[in-house]
Amino acid sequence: MSGMPGREATTLRSPVLLTSLASAALGDGQGDLRYARESRGAVTEWGGVYGQLIRLTGPWTVELGSREATTDLPSCRVSESSFPGGWRSQHWWNDLTIVQELVAIPRPAGVVRRLGVQSESDREVPLTFTSRFSPYLFPVLVEGIRPLDFEIRTSAEDLAIRHQGFGLRVASTVAPSDLFLNRGSWIGGKYRGPVTEFASEHPVVVPPGGSAEIRWRIVGGLERDLDSALAVTLTNIGSPDELATRQAEDERQWTQGTPELEFPDAPELETAYRRARTALRRLYSAPDENLVGLVAGYPWYSAIWCRDLAIMLPALLWLGDFEWVARSLSTVFRFQSRSTVPLLGAEPGALPMQLAPGPIFLYGTSDSTLRFPAVVEQMHRHTGDLSSVVEWADAVHRIVEWGRGRTDPPTGLLRHGGEAEAISVATAKLARVRYGIDSPDTTIWDSADRRDHALDVQVLWWETLCSAAHLLTHAEDSGRRETCEELARRLATTIRARYFWPEERYLYDSLRGSTPVARIRPNALRAVSAHLLDPDISVAAVDRAAADDLTSPWGVRSLSSLDPDYNSRAYHDGQVWTIATAWAADAAFAVGQRHRGVEYLRTIAARYAAEDGFANECYLGDRPEPFNSCFLLGFSVAPFLTVLFERLWGIRVGEGKASVRVVPGFPPEWTSARLHGLRLSDGRLDLEWTPGKLNVRWNGTGGLSVDTGAGVHSVSPGESALLDLPPPTERS
Amino acid sequence: MSDHRFGSLLRLAGEAAQLEVEFGTHSLEALAWVARTVEASVYVPDSLVRTSAGFRFALANPPLRIGAFCGLRLLVDGTPMPPDRVRVRFGPGYPWRTSSHLSPEHPLELQGGSSTEFEADWPLVGAPVPITVRLELQSVAIPPLVWLEIHETPKESPAP
Repeated sequence: MSGMPGREATTLRSPVLLTSLASAALGDGQGDLRYARESRGAVTEWGGVYGQLIRLTGPWTVELGSREATTDLPSCRVSESSFPGGWRSQHWWNDLTIVQELVAIPRPAGVVRRLGVQSESDREVPLTFTSRFSPYLFPVLVEGIRPLDFEIRTSAEDLAIRHQGFGLRVASTVAPSDLFLNRGSWIGGKYRGPVTEFASEHPVVVPPGGSAEIRWRIVGGLERDLDSALAVTLTNIGSPDELATRQAEDERQWTQGTPELEFPDAPELETAYRRARTALRRLYSAPDENLVGLVAGYPWYSAIWCRDLAIMLPALLWLGDFEWVARSLSTVFRFQSRSTVPLLGAEPGALPMQLAPGPIFLYGTSDSTLRFPAVVEQMHRHTGDLSSVVEWADAVHRIVEWGRGRTDPPTGLLRHGGEAEAISVATAKLARVRYGIDSPDTTIWDSADRRDHALDVQVLWWETLCSAAHLLTHAEDSGRRETCEELARRLATTIRARYFWPEERYLYDSLRGSTPVARIRPNALRAVSAHLLDPDISVAAVDRAAADDLTSPWGVRSLSSLDPDYNSRAYHDGQVWTIATAWAADAAFAVGQRHRGVEYLRTIAARYAAEDGFANECYLGDRPEPFNSCFLLGFSVAPFLTVLFERLWGIRVGEGKASVRVVPGFPPEWTSARLHGLRLSDGRLDLEWTPGKLNVRWNGTGGLSVDTGAGVHSVSPGESALLDLPPPTERS
Repeated sequence: MSDHRFGSLLRLAGEAAQLEVEFGTHSLEALAWVARTVEASVYVPDSLVRTSAGFRFALANPPLRIGAFCGLRLLVDGTPMPPDRVRVRFGPGYPWRTSSHLSPEHPLELQGGSSTEFEADWPLVGAPVPITVRLELQSVAIPPLVWLEIHETPKESPAP
């Protein structure tokens, strides 16, 4: 009895994920919205409909019945395919051709599903469609809990199910003839109690040689938003064609606003760029008008996790979506805590760990807050818009004060750990039943105890201080700026003095008190990328990270396989993470190891190709097999995109008026590369690279200053300039 | 109500008021939806019952985490139960598994909506008093321990 009741085989094929800005539908491509996937070591069913980051339903199936025979959709599937804005499957059963279409819709948030039937029979065919699903109605961010009690109410127009303040509505174009609750017949009306399944039968008659159609719509999320969204569309389910066209047009326009990259010497990277861009777009989320961002991933991280969002936003700047970045930052800073609220793990200045509609939010990580100042600073460089500097500067100042409260004054090191435990302590006396996870630390590897001073957290703190100093310069606040600069200097000095591990020619993972934690993790490479170390130490660290114990052919492990605590299945103590592979690429380029950087990027590109454009969160440490892994994670695509622009193309956007530094990191044997439509300030930039030359074309309103490393040049609006580049260097 | 609990509730009220000031009434309301659901959906109320050999209790959902669990430990007032005297099953009609038989190769697999029953052969001696039963689960995939604590007086087993 190792399995659950009703356990099914893990789905090996790629999932079907349909998304809108406020909803998602998940299936396995067989015909129903079912998707069984290994999660945390066991198979879990994730199929169904999601709206406003609330899981509305478990698996949603449709069966067909005619006289004595019945079938489900997977059993009679002939083919399936995606179409712009939706997904389609074709089925053949009893001389009937059945075409199914599914589209995710944003407002009201949910899914429209159509089944069209074409008969080849010369007789009338009476058909019954049976729709079945289990209501869920709980935010995805709360893992593993399915509510027990629901309220159900039928009306002339639809059926409503609610739990607490969450609700869903089901409508269909063919009225149900019979309803079933928990497999028993139900007359309708009102019901309150446990619900494991709701089903409805819909009779349809297909004329001889003719066709028939039924459409369903399941929408939901916050009940109060649902009521207002349905006020205008209650009786109009909508056509999947029109809804999909609208969805596809939004995506086409978005893609058109992003740059195009061409790498004739590495077409796999060009393809990977387009795949990663598409994948990132799927994570866009605006579940209500006040909540904008990107969800962390699918299926079980479909909430706005602020750590993940901060990692994704730089990629959005490179893709030119300044507006989404600004709206995302506004969302996050609106939830910056001004006070201490132990129940939620909040401290003054802290930014939340998670956000979902309600609003539902929770604080209590050591690093999420530290990731945002650099994003703000980068946004100002890319947009050239300093109008909101004062507003952002205040928020960033509160972050600095939050960090200073956790800083060890003599060393400048930031202390972390105990954030989640504080929440547990705060709730200890409040209930007769308590739950918890013994998680003593909350860095990006939050299931590992890396207290007290993990190196990557110190790098984030240093970047926070540097970014704050930049922003405070614009805000003309020299007092606070000087303080930040001094704190950053002291911290950098400590990092250089305390973290070098001479025996490994690498960097300690952390300091426990003042004792080094001698573990080889890829997180140390963040210090290389930040150029905090002496060049020789940086090169040695990149070389050490490339050894087999940390770098595998499918990516970089979270912990060296030589470490006594290494476990190939442990989330943060052995599994391979694509974000770690991107860190390794970034660090390799940072020290001038172009070939190695490109090889890491190729490793990531190979994963995208193998996963049909999805990007798994992590893999086993001993073979390239996803384990305990979301099938799509923003972590696994955004850093790849960022490295393409910042390291492979070597672009850094300057401050103030339009200026840019371009020092490409292409391997010496590459012959050409092209970038078209990079959005900067009020214009677009095109670049064409050949060895030793860079052709620059700019269409902003003023001149663009371009630093190639061999000199600074001005490019006039609407003109092109062919600039010299310094000879490439490859450090081995 | 103990002074401790009263003090905690007062502090909760203060924090709730602060949340309302900073983020509005909707935030309080929505957080309460989540808190109420979690409270009502995991431990089956009043299921902590004395049995002839010890005690039992039931859960309607996994505590906070899904997945495969290779270890299970029960403690009463801080005293760990011997693993061979603790059993778990998915509900009436399903076979019992002894917690000492759980392993990475043969884990206990839980997902949202999984109900489970636990039994321990550990007689509760003396008059009925509140006890703290702590359940600890060890995931095969994520190291930190997942736990649940029930603090209440076990009910007497209904007569057969």
